[in-house]
Amino acid sequence: MAGAKIKYTKTERARQKKILKVSLRMLPLFEAMEKSLMATINTIAERIEEIRQVIEKNKQAAEPWVAVMSDSHVDIKAFISVNKIITKHVDVAGVRVEQYESVDFNVMPISDDTPLWVDDAVVLMQEQLQLLAEIECLDEQIRLLEEELLDVRARIKLFENRRIPNAKTAIRKIGQKLQDDERLTIATAKVVKTSQKEEVMV
Amino acid sequence: MSNLVYLMCSLPSLKFGQVPPITIDEFSSEAKDQLSTKHFKQLEPVDIYQAADSEGKVGLKSIGAMLSDLQEDISEIRTAKAQKRAPNLTRLPQAVINANPLEREKLIMRWQWEELDNIQAGEVFTFTEVMVYKLRLQILSRLNSFSKERGSQVLASVVNPSKKKEE
Repeated sequence: MAGAKIKYTKTERARQKKILKVSLRMLPLFEAMEKSLMATINTIAERIEEIRQVIEKNKQAAEPWVAVMSDSHVDIKAFISVNKIITKHVDVAGVRVEQYESVDFNVMPISDDTPLWVDDAVVLMQEQLQLLAEIECLDEQIRLLEEELLDVRARIKLFENRRIPNAKTAIRKIGQKLQDDERLTIATAKVVKTSQKEEVMV
Repeated sequence: MSNLVYLMCSLPSLKFGQVPPITIDEFSSEAKDQLSTKHFKQLEPVDIYQAADSEGKVGLKSIGAMLSDLQEDISEIRTAKAQKRAPNLTRLPQAVINANPLEREKLIMRWQWEELDNIQAGEVFTFTEVMVYKLRLQILSRLNSFSKERGSQVLASVVNPSKKKEE
């Protein structure tokens, strides 16, 4: 609006009033959206932290026996790998994101001559991989929500710093100009009337 | 016979839990030099991880029986776990049921070691003693491969491969 030429007309004043009205109505909605997005992001961040704690707890629980995973007789990597992370589309705070569902694993069948520790290792690895996959999905959700948050904040700034003040200024200026024009018209009319009276008297 | 005596005298003694004083390859090389072709061929399929080789041949019946019993007990532990019941072990010590995976493997290997004691009892400078030596060397080699640091690396490489790549 800055630098833009204002049309000093009643139509323009009505248009600016409409812009102001819409902006004042939209601003609280965007502010609520901002709050909702921030709250959702915080909730997701807390969930990530919870999952990280579980991962750490599992790691600590496995610490007394993790040495067995270096068994020269077994290549544990051959027993398990992630085939696919399964997700579903959901709307979180108005943003379409992928929600973690499960992990599809490739697990090699364990034969009778396979050492027993492989069973425990596969269970541990599956759990850790599932938790990490969930974190991956949640991280992506945060990324998308933060993108939306930036957009919403930009809109709030636009309304607070540009649209609302500009519309108010425009309404005030147009009002003043229209008032001035009205006074001028009245004054001119009075002058004309006075001049006509004087001419009649002369 | 003299070759067996020479071979067994030249090999360092083994104790459960020690770092293997020689490698399997060194042992095989030494055995190849000292044993007859027939004995060496008999020694080759002897493996602590397999009751029988790919052709179904068993190095020694008592060793084959020990490994079969072990597999049966391992299978019973797995079945019992799946069925959520207490396993009914025939040979392995009961302690393996509640031990953590590392301790369990150590207990199993200790059991194998003790079983080999029984198999070897009274066998001095015999081919059985050579076979038992090879099996014990395999046990020590496996036991010695357990390392907390390497185990953690293996776990990390499976559960967090991308992170490892970044590092």
